[in-house]
Amino acid sequence: MSEMKQADAARGPRLGGQGLSKSFGPLMANDRIDFVARRGTIHAIVGGNGAGKSTLMNILQGLLTPDAGTVLVNGAPVAFRSPNDAIRAGIGMVHQEFTLIPGLTLLENLILGAEPRRGLGAIDRQAAEARAAALAELAGVRIDWSLTEEDAPVHMRQAVEILRLIYRGADVLILDEPTAVLAPPQIRELLALMRNLREKGNTILFISHKLDEVLAVADEVTVLRSGRVVVSRPAEGLDKAELARLMTGEPVEAPTAKPALPGAAVLELDRIGAGGEGAVAFQDFSLTLRAGEIVGIAGVAGNGQDEIVGLVSGMMPAARGAIRLAGQDITRHSTRERRALGLAYLSPDRKKEGLCLDASIADNLIASHQHKPRFAAQGFLKPRAIADFAAERVAAFEIKCASPRQPVRALSGGNQQKVAMARELYDNPRVLLACQPTRGVDIRGIAAIHEEILGFRDSGGAVLLISEELEELVQLSDRIVTIYSGRITGEFPRGGAGMERIGRTMLGEVAA
Amino acid sequence: MKSLQAALTILFPIAIVLLIGAAALLAAGHDPVAVYADLMTEAFGGTRRIAASLSAATPLIFTGLAAAVAFRVGVFTVGAEGSLYVGALMAAWLGFTLTGLNGWLLAPLCLLAGTVAGTLWMLPPGLMKARLGIDEIVTTLMLNFIAIGLTTWLVNGPLLAPGAANSSTPQVVETARLTRLMPPSTLTTGFLIALALLFAYAFWQRRRVGGYETLIGGLAPRFAGASGIDMPGLMLRMLLLSGAIAGLGGALQVLGPIGRFVAGFSTGYGFTGIAVAILARGNPFGILIGAVLFGGLSTAGATIQLFSDVPIEIVNILQGLIMIFAVADFGLRGWFARRAGRQAANGGATP
Repeated sequence: MSEMKQADAARGPRLGGQGLSKSFGPLMANDRIDFVARRGTIHAIVGGNGAGKSTLMNILQGLLTPDAGTVLVNGAPVAFRSPNDAIRAGIGMVHQEFTLIPGLTLLENLILGAEPRRGLGAIDRQAAEARAAALAELAGVRIDWSLTEEDAPVHMRQAVEILRLIYRGADVLILDEPTAVLAPPQIRELLALMRNLREKGNTILFISHKLDEVLAVADEVTVLRSGRVVVSRPAEGLDKAELARLMTGEPVEAPTAKPALPGAAVLELDRIGAGGEGAVAFQDFSLTLRAGEIVGIAGVAGNGQDEIVGLVSGMMPAARGAIRLAGQDITRHSTRERRALGLAYLSPDRKKEGLCLDASIADNLIASHQHKPRFAAQGFLKPRAIADFAAERVAAFEIKCASPRQPVRALSGGNQQKVAMARELYDNPRVLLACQPTRGVDIRGIAAIHEEILGFRDSGGAVLLISEELEELVQLSDRIVTIYSGRITGEFPRGGAGMERIGRTMLGEVAA
Repeated sequence: MKSLQAALTILFPIAIVLLIGAAALLAAGHDPVAVYADLMTEAFGGTRRIAASLSAATPLIFTGLAAAVAFRVGVFTVGAEGSLYVGALMAAWLGFTLTGLNGWLLAPLCLLAGTVAGTLWMLPPGLMKARLGIDEIVTTLMLNFIAIGLTTWLVNGPLLAPGAANSSTPQVVETARLTRLMPPSTLTTGFLIALALLFAYAFWQRRRVGGYETLIGGLAPRFAGASGIDMPGLMLRMLLLSGAIAGLGGALQVLGPIGRFVAGFSTGYGFTGIAVAILARGNPFGILIGAVLFGGLSTAGATIQLFSDVPIEIVNILQGLIMIFAVADFGLRGWFARRAGRQAANGGATP
């Protein structure tokens, strides 16, 4: 145990790790990790997929016990035996998947489990409201506490997730990729909220792979690569290129798109509408996608993306209008019939809809192709042909795995997505419906996936790209269409508008 | 490690059950070791007893398989019991009605009729599940009561054997009866058919497109749907197949050991089959082991009270406990995970 640094009380060490190591079998997920997050600072933890961020967070939360090394709280070594120990030490985490409960209001969600009481155990609503208002003011955000979880916009729900931790006494907030679900203006709000909480003396561990945001808000940065700390230093003086190089170990070049050569229309949405259970009235939506072009759909989650995906893929029936694929009316076609006509679909929900995690890589690679003569004859599978195909795809898409017979669950997020990609691009589809293709994928994986998408376009494929990553849309799309509340609010050709302007139309402002 | 885990998954519940059972036996003043030894002897001691146990296992292989094929695609049917009854009654009715037919023709016809009846019995819950999303657990459970009630009423009225006291049809014609493999035991060629079906299932699982689609559909239904697999249709088909297998199992009981339809002939074969399927985790070999285990328990239970003062209820309790622990698999997985975590922690420098 080394001597603790005697820093001044205000910026003394709040949470840290010393020599933290954790291995899973042969894999060293965390290898002697040292870092110190000081009180009242924002400390970014950046790193690609498989860099060891999740393992480190799980250790800091008491979900995993380190094999060696120790967690430091206020500079002193502690051994968390369970998440409760971490909570008692003032450490709370906001996960990417929110934990608010539908049906309850934001206020009820805030106080759930630690309700202020009056006599006889009744909930003291006035006290709760006062506490909630004080918290919102502290964070500098406006929250309508009477909204139910499902009616509240995503950034408000996220703010409640964060404030709930403070309500329960946490002053160390671990935020896991918090901006992934937000539009640019909301991201700015969140960053402001983080700064406000920092001013009030909270410590924030900001996990992200979005380098601009890290540089905009972090005081200090710890970069992880392959389970080790590459560098842990003040953010001042770092630039994006340098940070990317630290993360990947080599300069990463984003693939550049050649100019598109759009051909004939292959996918036409002709004034379609869906009978909505959702919040969005989805009607009269028209869009044409041509061969050899990428059309990006930009919008804050829940503004019609699900409807577009459902209607195009065939999983949601169209109430009105028509959908044509390669000239054929497919409005009433099943998903299988649509796929037979050349539709490929990369799902945004990789774990439940894009892959079967418990099945092997090979089984995942042949899904939707299992009837094709290459893989089956008279209903009998051809194991040899399937194994050959799997080996071929694994090599072509550089999927890192021990064997195609491994379950997909064992792969990293980026490699999982490559499996899905390798399957969907097989057998020359006409249209690729790609939703959040790089969600939870690291920088290098992103580059590989983007390259595949652009390559598909260059070979004459049409791509309908739906993404919450505006940067990705701008990089890949030949046209960007912004949607808000189920309507198209703007259309921008490649290079036609800055992110800020696109961001505003995403929030409902109609482009001139 | 993985195969060890698989083996433990089957053996662990049984071991726990034996421990709990031992405690119960001790409390009741019996020597658990002696009772277990007796049970073992009564179930598997000698060819005749083994034959009896395999005979008792036969219907359980069918109901276990019937449950497994539906579970595989995520349909949690408990309707094998009902299909078993209607299949058995249909086979018996043809078997004592079409007395003019050659046995070589009549037996397959009876089996086919039982299979079809069992299949059709699952059509309403299957359609309700596939078209309307109505929960199959409730519908199939209720259909069991209807099947039992309906068959009981039929054999007490229209189909009652002339001169019989109650509740059974006339005997199936002798020529349509299945061959006994080891007379006088009731083990018949039905057991061989069960084995053949298990082999077919093992092959289908791994080598047929349907086996692939049900695997994917059961593990990840949304993924299967997005890949173009018609999940409602697949669920319907697997539920019908489940009914077919159970119906065939019922028909084989009639043409085999019983020789006619007797009201309430099933000692809960359909329900025990569910435990067999869960215990086996859908593995065909596991289904065989599970069925023989339960079959052995029930034969032993029937005779053990002749030789000791152990009440037959102890066997029922053991069966019930095995079923409970068969379902409690996540507990074991959690135990494995924690143990792995502790080992990793102990390997490190910190205590």
